[in-house]
Amino acid sequence: MSGDSAASAPGRSGARPERPVGRRTPGSRFARLLAGGLLHGGVQGSPVLRLLLRWVRRPLLPVMRLWRRNIQLKVVATTLLMSLGVVLLLGFVVIGQVRNGLLDAKVKASQSQATGGFAVAKQKADEAAGASADDGTPADGGASQNVIEWMSELVLSLSSGGQGAFDVVTLPPGDVSGVARGPRASGFVDPDKSVPEKLREQVNSSTGAAQSYSRIIYLSDKESQPALVIGKQVNDPNGDPYELYYLFPLTQEEKSLSLVKGTLATAGLFVVVLLGAIAWLVVRQVVTPVRMAAGIAERLSAGRLQERMKVTGEDDIARLGEAFNKMAQNLQLKIQQLEDLSRMQRRFVSDVSHELRTPLTTVRMAADVIHDARVDFDPVTARSAELLADQLDRFETLLADLLEISRFDAGAAALEAEPIDLREVVRRVVSGAAPLAERKGTTVRVIGDQQPVVAEADARRVERVLRNLVVNAVEHGEGKDVIVKLAAAGGAVAIAVRDYGVGLKPGEATRVFSRFWRADPARARTTGGTGLGLSIALEDARLHGGWLQAWGEPGGGSQFRLTLPRTADEPLRGSPIPLEPKDSRRNRGDLDDAGLPRGGGQKSATVPVQPVGEQQSAARSTLTPRTAGAATADPTALPGNGARVVPRPSPSPGTGPRTGAGTSTGVGAGTGGTVRGDSPNRTDTAGAGDPDGPDDGGTGDARETALRGTSDRHRAGAEGANEQGEAFRGR
Amino acid sequence: MGAEWREGGTRRTPGRTVAYATCGVVLLAGCASMPDSGDLRGVESTPRQDTQVRVFAMPPRDDAQPLEIVQGFLEALTSDDPGYATARQYLTEKAAQKWEPERSTTVLADGPATDAGPTGSRDDGDDYSYTLTGTRVATVDAQQSYAPASGQYGQAVHLSRDKKNGQWRIDALPQGVVMGKSDFQRNYVSVNKYYFASNTTADGARQPMAVADPVYVRERVDPMTQMVRSVLTGPTNWLRPVVRSSFPTGTALPKGVTALTPDDQNKLTVPLNDKAAHIGQGKCEEMAAQLLFSLRSLAPAVDEIALRSGGTQLCSLTEERAATVAARGSETNPGYLYFIDGQHRLERMTSGSGNTKAEPVPGALGDGAKALRSVAVARDEHSAAGVALDGKTLYVTSTVSGSSIGDPVLQSKGKTETDRLTTPSWDTQGDLWVADRDPAAPRLLLLEKGGGQPLEVLTPGLDGRINAVRVAADGVRIALVVDKGGKQSLLIGRIERGPGSGEQQSVSLQELRSATPELEQVTAMSWAGDSRLVVVGRESGGVQQVQYVQCDGSIPEAGTLPGLTEVTSIAASEDTEIPLFATSKDGLLWLPGGSGWRTLKETASVTFYPG
Repeated sequence: MSGDSAASAPGRSGARPERPVGRRTPGSRFARLLAGGLLHGGVQGSPVLRLLLRWVRRPLLPVMRLWRRNIQLKVVATTLLMSLGVVLLLGFVVIGQVRNGLLDAKVKASQSQATGGFAVAKQKADEAAGASADDGTPADGGASQNVIEWMSELVLSLSSGGQGAFDVVTLPPGDVSGVARGPRASGFVDPDKSVPEKLREQVNSSTGAAQSYSRIIYLSDKESQPALVIGKQVNDPNGDPYELYYLFPLTQEEKSLSLVKGTLATAGLFVVVLLGAIAWLVVRQVVTPVRMAAGIAERLSAGRLQERMKVTGEDDIARLGEAFNKMAQNLQLKIQQLEDLSRMQRRFVSDVSHELRTPLTTVRMAADVIHDARVDFDPVTARSAELLADQLDRFETLLADLLEISRFDAGAAALEAEPIDLREVVRRVVSGAAPLAERKGTTVRVIGDQQPVVAEADARRVERVLRNLVVNAVEHGEGKDVIVKLAAAGGAVAIAVRDYGVGLKPGEATRVFSRFWRADPARARTTGGTGLGLSIALEDARLHGGWLQAWGEPGGGSQFRLTLPRTADEPLRGSPIPLEPKDSRRNRGDLDDAGLPRGGGQKSATVPVQPVGEQQSAARSTLTPRTAGAATADPTALPGNGARVVPRPSPSPGTGPRTGAGTSTGVGAGTGGTVRGDSPNRTDTAGAGDPDGPDDGGTGDARETALRGTSDRHRAGAEGANEQGEAFRGR
Repeated sequence: MGAEWREGGTRRTPGRTVAYATCGVVLLAGCASMPDSGDLRGVESTPRQDTQVRVFAMPPRDDAQPLEIVQGFLEALTSDDPGYATARQYLTEKAAQKWEPERSTTVLADGPATDAGPTGSRDDGDDYSYTLTGTRVATVDAQQSYAPASGQYGQAVHLSRDKKNGQWRIDALPQGVVMGKSDFQRNYVSVNKYYFASNTTADGARQPMAVADPVYVRERVDPMTQMVRSVLTGPTNWLRPVVRSSFPTGTALPKGVTALTPDDQNKLTVPLNDKAAHIGQGKCEEMAAQLLFSLRSLAPAVDEIALRSGGTQLCSLTEERAATVAARGSETNPGYLYFIDGQHRLERMTSGSGNTKAEPVPGALGDGAKALRSVAVARDEHSAAGVALDGKTLYVTSTVSGSSIGDPVLQSKGKTETDRLTTPSWDTQGDLWVADRDPAAPRLLLLEKGGGQPLEVLTPGLDGRINAVRVAADGVRIALVVDKGGKQSLLIGRIERGPGSGEQQSVSLQELRSATPELEQVTAMSWAGDSRLVVVGRESGGVQQVQYVQCDGSIPEAGTLPGLTEVTSIAASEDTEIPLFATSKDGLLWLPGGSGWRTLKETASVTFYPG
């Protein structure tokens, strides 16, 4: 029921309730997104999985909270991550390039070396073949005589060229057709495992040289190493082919590469640490003043207007601080001016009231004399005298009410709380209102007085409030029953006064407590009252730390509920009696299906722009968390008196439009007063029934003092159900 | 604010701040440039890169031709196959059982050539024969003793086709292994096994004298175990008459011992069979010393030998203590290097110290009273024998100052200087050997303790005139340069002493054998190790060169030394650490660290170490 919550604090500046909402909404949305997207994601699976996820999530929650709240952590972590990424990328690129460069150089050198070696092998074979030919030995049997030794010597001479720089391996050709020599290897190389099979195939299939990367396996204890293998098929002196391989270990290259790797890793580590430290420092430079500003702003908003930021230097932060301080100063100035103005006004009212009293007393005495002697006057004059006395009565009541109000405004009202049984008070009030009720043909019934309803309260003030409510109910009850209900539950006691009269139009429930507000100027003529009665009653309730709330529906009557804490100084959490009575038309369900009357009948629906359907649904679904959270405004709060508000965590949004209500009633009061002059009888009875005159005068006024009570409307719709629940539970 | 603070700080201690900054900069600069001082430490010797080539034997291919079989077999012989298992796959089962590769190794100059045999029906027949031919270089017998050889090699190999699978296999072949010279050098390594001279002891001590017995073992087939087995088997035939082994007869490794390897502390534990179980401590230490000396010639890292038998440790011997158990020529360091200067006086230099300051030898030989042609200083360096400039007379005198030269102990009747006495040589017992080159009566003489009646040494089998004599430090072997028909060759002989007629013992040189069959003109030689000599000689058609030779006639790996011409004498010690000296027409030269010959003195005629 956002509509109600919008009306909940009409007297407020509007910024106050809105800000926390504004702050809260994105935050909660973010949290929901995080929780939903990141952590709740995919939780729709099996319960075991859900349990596991929850178990995993639990230790993460504080971290995430810290993450959400700490901008420094965010910036530093992001910086670290990004720099780490860049360093890794850079490392890969640089290592790759170094590797390629090293390999290129190595491959070129190795190729030239191997090519030279192949040439040497060929040359030696030719020489040996030539020598054996010179000897005249037959090519078939004789020339083959020395190949065994020749090849060993060849490998030895080739490998002795580069001690450790390379090793030489000869292998028989893959397709052995003629005489094949066994493998030969220098430097303890395992020839079969070190030369890859693919390279052998390539070497066998082509006449050119081929190269491949491989790993040299040693027959000795030496560790295997990566190597470049270059091979070619060469002919021995007999013309038989064999495979000659040069194996170049890449040990040096690997060492260089690991040196580069180590250097890069070290440098990268330092860079990451440096960037993290820089980010930390910079953010600290920025965040520290921001945090200070946030703290100062919080304190300012808590009312400590003298708080200022410390400003050092001339940088942007300093300018922020200066501007902030200037703003705070201006605010403080304006608030002070307003307070001064308000105080002046109140004193003015108080002074005027006091000053008017003295001449009024004189006038009164004179008027009484005239009134007493009216029988001696001609009818016209006698009538005037009567009129004079009536209006003087009224004037006095008004003055008394004004004095009472100004006493509240000045904070001079003192609570004399003591444990009292509210049943006594109720009985006194009911019996006091009995004449009026009788005249109206109304029966006042009291429910819930079987057990004592004890609370720490000021009996005089509670009685004044109740009298006001009961008289109001009787007067507007149109002769129907008035029910006074008592209840106690939890830490609270409540008294609800229910009538079945014309009820309240939408929006009126919030305005009845406004000073000099009248529900119906036409009807007001028949009733007396100053228009301040409910205001004073509300002040009384608030003085107790209690609530005074109104509910009504057009044609369905209304209910006023006074909720008081059982012990003074105890904040109220709920009321034992639901604000909307069970026999309301809506609860009875006798609304037509169109829903419009229903919405209209519901006094709580004070925001016309609200779509009806939503209103309904929100009203029905009283357990939705959103409305429940929004309806927790303290009803006792008055405009301009935020200090008295019992702190409730979730203010109602959208109170802005209602702010003017309190002030706009002044004119109405005047007219109301004059119009009401037409019904002297009513005034008389009212005055007679109420010793505390000023209060009674106001009982007839169906004024809406735009109060905190609005949130009750709310409660009537949405939270009401909750509170009902609480109340029942309390019982 | 920061600036102010910094200024304040600087103002407070400007000097200190500057000093800190300077220190930091200097430190950083030190890190950023290559060090040019400091950090002194020893350098560990990195093991020499082994570029040796290994041949991997391949089993015979299916349906291989006879020639392929023979070639594959010959190739398999050059591989590192421990038991020639792959080579045996080329043989028929019967031949493989009969074939004994350990029997001998024949080294041919260029490897065996395969000539198609005279018999054999070419393609379709079931038998085939080849003749392995080549020029013999050397043979290694079953005792692994190397002997130079010459002549043509020709052995038949017969192949037959297996009845069952139709594969060609060798069914008749010569015993032993045949391979080329380079394959032999690649696969075999020369090591010394040590025994004790049976009738000589080191001078002045009761220690037995260790005699090196060079053998060839296969280098990559667990040489350490081969070595131990070889030591246990006993000395080679040539040396057997004059040496003894401390191992009781029949001592061997227990069955099942396959490979012996030293542990982390370079200690090798050798298990022995029961024959060695009840052996005395002194004998056991001698046995251990034999093994230790032998193994150190193969693996210098071995520091300690422990002998076990029957589960108990018999004894253990460290390298340090081995010197007290047995004497070895290479362990006795000569005190001085001697040479005869331009005035024919004997001078000396402290050996091995690099100090090149020469001083005259005290005593009669150093004062120049008698012009000297050649001198030998006894191994204890207390006495010296000098041959007069004309080569006619031999004097023996003390190297103590003030001693007189006395009368000649020997005179030669030769006509010319080159027909008279050779350079004398002392053995470890203090006996003096000298040869008289008188063509009329060439003889080798032994003067016991440098005096007395010269004893003529019997030289059976000597053909030619002895030009130079050098007795080895062990007193068992003698090196002779023998001139025959204008060719000088180096011969190694075995000294055998036996009871002679009357009081005098008879001394003979037995089984003279050539150590340098390929050298024609040996001009100078000297022992340069337990079984090694340094020889100055010239091959036929070659130039004069200085080289090491093994006393069994093989050429060690690091054989050739930097060239030097017209060498008249060369001085080398059994201790291989001590540098070589030589004299030529350039005077006295030496070879420090193998970098090349350097002149030390302008004039010198003969140089030698004691002995």
